Amino acid sequence: MRIRIAHETLYTYAVPANAVIQTLRLTPRNFSGQHVANWRLDVDQDCRLDAHEDAFGNITHTFSASGPIQSMTIRVDGLIETSDTAGVVRGAIERFPPGLYLRETDLTKADAEIRAYAEARRAKAGNGTLSILHALLDDLPAGMAYDKDPTHASTTATEAFALKSGVCQDFAHIFIAAARHLGIPARYVGGYFLHADGTIDQEAGHAWAEAYVEDLGWVGFDPANAICPAEQHIRIACGLDYLNAAPVRGSRHGGDGEFLTVKVRVDQAARQVQVQ
Amino acid sequence: MLSRTADNLFWLARYVERAEYLARIIEASTRLANLPSAYAGTSNEWESAVATAGCANLFFQAHEKATRETVIDFLAFSPDNPSSIRSCFETARTNARSVRTALTGEMWDAINSAWLELSKYRASGLNQDEHLTSFLSFVKETGLRFDGSAYRTMLRSDGYWFSRLGVMIERADNTARILDVKYHVLLPDAEHVGGSLDYFQWSAILRAVSALTAYHWVYKESLKPWLVADLLILNDQMPRSLAACYESIVRNLDSLSLAYGRQGPAQRSARAIRTRLENARIDDIFQSGLHEFVSDFIGENNRLGAAITQQYLT
Repeated sequence: MRIRIAHETLYTYAVPANAVIQTLRLTPRNFSGQHVANWRLDVDQDCRLDAHEDAFGNITHTFSASGPIQSMTIRVDGLIETSDTAGVVRGAIERFPPGLYLRETDLTKADAEIRAYAEARRAKAGNGTLSILHALLDDLPAGMAYDKDPTHASTTATEAFALKSGVCQDFAHIFIAAARHLGIPARYVGGYFLHADGTIDQEAGHAWAEAYVEDLGWVGFDPANAICPAEQHIRIACGLDYLNAAPVRGSRHGGDGEFLTVKVRVDQAARQVQVQ
Repeated sequence: MLSRTADNLFWLARYVERAEYLARIIEASTRLANLPSAYAGTSNEWESAVATAGCANLFFQAHEKATRETVIDFLAFSPDNPSSIRSCFETARTNARSVRTALTGEMWDAINSAWLELSKYRASGLNQDEHLTSFLSFVKETGLRFDGSAYRTMLRSDGYWFSRLGVMIERADNTARILDVKYHVLLPDAEHVGGSLDYFQWSAILRAVSALTAYHWVYKESLKPWLVADLLILNDQMPRSLAACYESIVRNLDSLSLAYGRQGPAQRSARAIRTRLENARIDDIFQSGLHEFVSDFIGENNRLGAAITQQYLT
C-alpha cells in the first residue's frame, strides 16, 4: 500500500525564544515491511540539520537555532510503500541483543496491578510466547478506554493502568511492562497509522509495541487497535520506551508561553494492484 | 510498450555496460601483469581476468593457457565468446536496430558508429600497450557516449526505466564479480597485510571500477581491505557500488510500478535486497563471510533479473 504522510509540528512562543535545540526522530528506515519511496524533512529556521544514528539504529536529526524565535515549524513529507508481513519485523537494523529490551524504565515499570494482570493473562493463554502476547493484545483494550484527556507525554504505564484510560502511547507502555514482567523482551515503536475508516487528519502519530519471539524474531503488536501491525502501519523509530523513540525532543532558552500544534495527515496515495 | 521492445532496450543497455566492464578488466589485468612478480605475486592475472569475466569454462575449451594474447583476443574479439566486446557490440547493435524508433538519434548513432569503428581494430594490432590503451578507451568512451545520450536525450518513460534497469543489474553483477574473484586478497591475512602486493591488488580492484580517487575522498586513509569492500558494497555515494546500483534499480522499478499501476515480485525482491544492503555493516559481512555474501548477492541479482524478465520482458 502506498501511503502519503504530512506531519507538521508548529511551536509558537508568547515570549520569543533565545535559542532552541532539538533532536528529531522523524525519518523511517527500510525493512521487509516498508520501503521509503520519498522522504523530506524541513525546519523553517536558519540552521543545519545533522543526520546521525542513535544507539538503537534510528535516524536522528539534530539542529540548533538561535533567536529571537517567534514560531518554528518542523515539516515532514513522505511517501512509503508498505506490505503486510503479519507483524513480523525482518531486515530492520538490530543493534542490541533482544535481552536488552527486558530492561525496565520509569515509563514502563510494572506495579503489582500490572504484574497481576500479566500473570492472569499468561495463566489463561498457556505457555507459548506468541499466545501469551496475543492474550495481552486482545485483552488490553477491553479494560482500557481510549481517551486522550487524562494522560500526557510523561504518564507512566502504572498511572495509565490505574486510570484505565489513555492513548496509544499508554497502551504500548502497559503492554511492554506486562510483557517484560513475563520475561519477554519488548520495545516501544513510534510511527504513523492509516485509519481504516478514511480519517485522514490526525492529531498525533501512532505508537505500538514489538515483542521478541524465539524462532520468529521481533513481532509487532498494536494494543490500541488490538491488531498486529500490517500495511497501515509506518514504522519510524524504536526504543525502550517513548523517550527513546519520541518524534521531537529538545529544550529551549527563553520562549515562555510555548504553544504546540501538531497536524498529521496520513492518506493512501496511488492504488496499485499487487501481482503475485 | 511491447514486452519485446522493453526486452530489447533492457538487453541493449546491459550489453553496452558489459562491454565497458570487459575493457576495465583487461585494463586492470594489463596493469597488474606489467608489475614485476615481486610486487604482483605469482598468480596469473590473465587467468583471474577470465574468471572475473565469468567465462573461464568457455575460454579453456578454446585455449590451453591464459596469456595476454589469448585472453585479450578471447575477451575482446572472439566471435565464439558470446560475451566478448565484439559480441556485445554486435548484439547491442542488433537490439538497437530492432527498436530503432524507441531510441533517440544520439543513442543509435553512438551504438552504430561504435560497431563500425570496431572493425578497424584487430587482436594482432594490440600487442603494443599504446594501441591496447587506445582500443580500451574507445570501448569505454562508447559506454559513456551511449549512457550519456540516453541520460540527456531519452524521454523519461518506461523505455528509459527499462534501459536503466539493464545498466544497473549488469553493473551490480560486474562489481560483485570483481569482488567474488578478488575476495581472497581482501581477507585479513597476518602475513601480508600492508605489503606492496596488497597495495597493488587493492588499488587494481579500485581502479577497475574507477574508485581509487573516490576511496581517498571518502576514507582519507591508506588502502585497507575492509574499507575497499565497504566502498564497493555498502557506500551508496559510489556509483558502481552494489548499494548505489540497487538504489537506482528500486527507483526505476518504482517508477514502472507507478506508471503501470501494479507491482509484483520484481519490486518486492529489489526492495528486499536494497534494504539488506542499506542495513548491513561491513564488520558483520566480514564476520559471516565476504565470499558467501558476494556469491549470495550474485545469485539474488540474477534472480531479480529473471523476475524482471518474467514480469515485464516476456
